[in-house]
Amino acid sequence: MILALFLGGLVSGVLIYAFTDKGADANPYASLPHAAEPAVTADVARALAADDAKGLSNLMDMTVLQQLQTAIEPLTDIRTMKFVGAVEKNGRVLAAYVAGGRTVDGTDVLVGFVLRVTGDQIVGVN
Amino acid sequence: MLGLNLIPPLVRTALAMLLVGGLIGYVGTAFTTTLVADSGILGGGGESSDAHKYMIALLQRETDSLSQLRPTRDVISRALEQQNASQQASDVKPLSVTYLGGSSSGRISVHIYAVEIQASGGQYQFFPLALTIVGGKVVRVE
Repeated sequence: MILALFLGGLVSGVLIYAFTDKGADANPYASLPHAAEPAVTADVARALAADDAKGLSNLMDMTVLQQLQTAIEPLTDIRTMKFVGAVEKNGRVLAAYVAGGRTVDGTDVLVGFVLRVTGDQIVGVN
Repeated sequence: MLGLNLIPPLVRTALAMLLVGGLIGYVGTAFTTTLVADSGILGGGGESSDAHKYMIALLQRETDSLSQLRPTRDVISRALEQQNASQQASDVKPLSVTYLGGSSSGRISVHIYAVEIQASGGQYQFFPLALTIVGGKVVRVE
């Protein structure tokens, strides 16, 4: 009987939470459908993860490389690279990545950055 | 405590079991749902509720909500923020907000969004925003 009462309480607790929890507010704005990872940004992510400076220099011009350098600060030693998602609107694709690694002083950090693609070319980094 | 002694031991034990079970059920459900929602196991995409709240507050210029989601700052910084918000063009219209995804490691998590807005004068902008959250506070917005 004690076990039954305990289980009854447990179920009541779950039900009370379900009825009282408001949850996260719904997004009041529209959302765009997700797109596939562009091949050109996948190459950049691979080069970054492989510490391949030569490959990276072949994939982007100097201006975009400098933007990428700023975007991943304070990360200096990239250990992980994860594609998190992409969206496309009017021929412009935003491909988002999260890089994990260490700073100069050895602190573990995560940095998010987004590669902007137009016509199979990386035109900018945020 | 005298009142409790008036209740028969069997009823007391029954009430205690009901209460303990209820508490465990409530807290356990709250913990599990938060964990599942933030990890994206059930397809929620792993969007953090703090990141979601921050984005909505940012687009709706709710400076008080933004302050609550940022680390504690001095009074002058907060006053400057209020002034910035009031000077921003009020006719900026968000068209869409898309959660692209995120990743977490320990207390740090990064969440990335794509935002479409119609700025003043009809100017269209499509840009990303990356939020870095540490311990429930948004410490970096890019």
